[in-house]
Amino acid sequence: MLSIESLCKSYRHHQAVRNVSFQVMENECVALLGPNGAGKTTTLQMLSGLLSPTSGTVKLYGEKKADRSMIGYLPQYPAFYSWMTANEFLTFAGRLSGLSKKKCQEKIGEMLEFVGLQDAANKRIGGYSGGMKQRLGLAQALLHKPKLLILDEPVSALDPSGRIEVLDMMRELKKHMAVLFSTHVLHDAEQVCDQVVIMKSGEISWKGALQQLKEQHQTNVFTLTVKEKLKGWLEEKPYISDVVYMNPSQAVFELSDTGSGRILLSDCIQMGLTVTRFEQKTESLEDVYLKVVHA
Amino acid sequence: MNVMMTLLQKEWLEGWRSGKLIWLPIAMMIVGLTQPLTIYYMPEIIAHGGNLPDGMKISFTMPSGSEVMVSTLSQFNTLGMALIIFSVMGSVANERNQGVTALIMSRPVTAAQYILNKWITQSMIGIASFAAGYGLAYYYVRILFEHASFSRFAASLGLYSLWMMFIVTAGLAGSTMFRSLGAAAAAGIGLTAAVSFAVSLFPDGAKWLPAELCKQAEHILLHGERADFFGWSLTFSILCIMLLAVFSVWRFRRYESY
Repeated sequence: MLSIESLCKSYRHHQAVRNVSFQVMENECVALLGPNGAGKTTTLQMLSGLLSPTSGTVKLYGEKKADRSMIGYLPQYPAFYSWMTANEFLTFAGRLSGLSKKKCQEKIGEMLEFVGLQDAANKRIGGYSGGMKQRLGLAQALLHKPKLLILDEPVSALDPSGRIEVLDMMRELKKHMAVLFSTHVLHDAEQVCDQVVIMKSGEISWKGALQQLKEQHQTNVFTLTVKEKLKGWLEEKPYISDVVYMNPSQAVFELSDTGSGRILLSDCIQMGLTVTRFEQKTESLEDVYLKVVHA
Repeated sequence: MNVMMTLLQKEWLEGWRSGKLIWLPIAMMIVGLTQPLTIYYMPEIIAHGGNLPDGMKISFTMPSGSEVMVSTLSQFNTLGMALIIFSVMGSVANERNQGVTALIMSRPVTAAQYILNKWITQSMIGIASFAAGYGLAYYYVRILFEHASFSRFAASLGLYSLWMMFIVTAGLAGSTMFRSLGAAAAAGIGLTAAVSFAVSLFPDGAKWLPAELCKQAEHILLHGERADFFGWSLTFSILCIMLLAVFSVWRFRRYESY
C-alpha cells in the first residue's frame, strides 16, 4: 500500500536521508530502527507529508498526493493546546480530519477508552503527565481510522508498564491498519513488528523480516560441556574447528554444518561422555543490530 | 468549509481561555479614554505640576471635539498598534514552537486555510477592540467637549479599522516569518512604522500605502469631507493588506519544518 522509492532529503550542509526505498504492505507492522541521528524522524515526516522530499517518491495506494485523512501521525514529542481538555482536542482533531460531529463524539469515547484516558477526558491537557500525553497523541492519530499509522518513537518516553501497554495496543492495531514506527529499542521492535528497516546515517543498511535477519547472522558456534574431560579428544574430530577450551570439560567451537551436531553427540555417547550442555550460540537481536549498524 | 469552521471555533475558544478577548478590548478602551481626559484636565494637570513661577497664568483654549478625536487616533497609532502587534505575534510562532502545528498540518488542512483563519479571527478581535476603545473616546468627547458629528466618527472608524487590519496582517506576517516572538513583534512594528514614516515623508508619492488611511480619517474628522485620492488610496490599501496576507500563506507553505 505504501511504496517509497529512492527518497532523499538534503539540507544545506548535510544529507539527512539518502536513497531510502522500502514498502509497507496492508496490515503489516514495520519498525524503523537505527541509532540517533540516522534519519528516522526525517523519513517519517516525509511519509506523513509534513516535509517535502528533495527527491524520490512516496506513494500511498499508488497516489503520489496522499489523502491525509488516510494517515495517522504521532510525532516524537506530541504537543497539544494546554488550555484544551482531551475531549476538546480530540473533537478539534477529528473535525479537521473530516469526521462529522456525531461520528466524532462516538469515536472519541471509543478512543479514550482504548488508550485508557476516559477518566481524564475533561481535564486540561496542561496537567497531563508525559505518559498521558503520549496516549492522547496515539488517540488523535487513530481517531479517523487511518489506513497507515505512523508513530515516531511511540514508546521511548514511557515507563516499563506504559511501554508494555502501548506495545499491546500496537499489536491490536496491526489487525486493522498498517503500522510504521521508529524506535531505537530493539526489544520493542522484536515484540510487535513483522519487518524491520535498519537505517544508519541516512541510508538503509538492512531491511527484511526480523526472523531472516537473525538467521542471516546465525553462526555455527556451539558450546559443549561434559562431566568428563574433552581436551585431547575433541580437536581431532574432522568436522570441528576453532576450539577454545573454557576449562578441560567445556569447549566452544565451530561446526562445519548443523548436521554434524548429531554426529558429535553420537560420538560423545560412544565415548561414554555425559553431556550436560550442548547449545548453539544464538546472537541476540542486539548483537545482530550492532553488527549491521557498525558494518 | 468544515475545516475552516473547526479552526475558527478553536481560535475563539483560545481567545476566551487565554483572556485575549478580555484584555485587548480593556487595554484599547484605556488608550481611547486617556486622551480626551488628559486634554480636558490639562489646565489642572499643569497647575498640579507645581513648577510654574508665581503669578504666571496659562491661557488654554479648549480644542474642538474633532481635534481631540484626531489626537486620540494618533494614540491608537502608537500604543494601540503595539498592543495589537503583541496580541498577534504569537499566533503562528507559538504553535510552531510548541509543535502543535505539526499535528494540525498532518491532517487535511492547507496552509491557506490555516493562515486565513488566523487572519480573520485576529483581525476581528483587533478591530472590535479598537472600535470599543474609539467608541468610548467618542462618548467622552461628546460629554466633555463640544458636539462631534457621528457620521464623521463612523467614517473615521471605518478607515482606521482598515488600518488596524493592516497592523494585524503585518503582525501575522512577522509571526509566520520568525519563530522567536521578539523578532516577530519587531518585524510587525517595524513594517508598520516604516509604512507610516514613508507616508509622512513622501506625502505625494506614497498615497497608495495603507498608512494614507490614517490621513484620510483625520481629514474627514476635521473637514467632514474626503481628501483627494480617496478611492485610490482605499483600493490600494486593501490590495496591500491582501498581498501581505498572501505573503504569509506563501511563507507558511515554504516551511522546512513546522
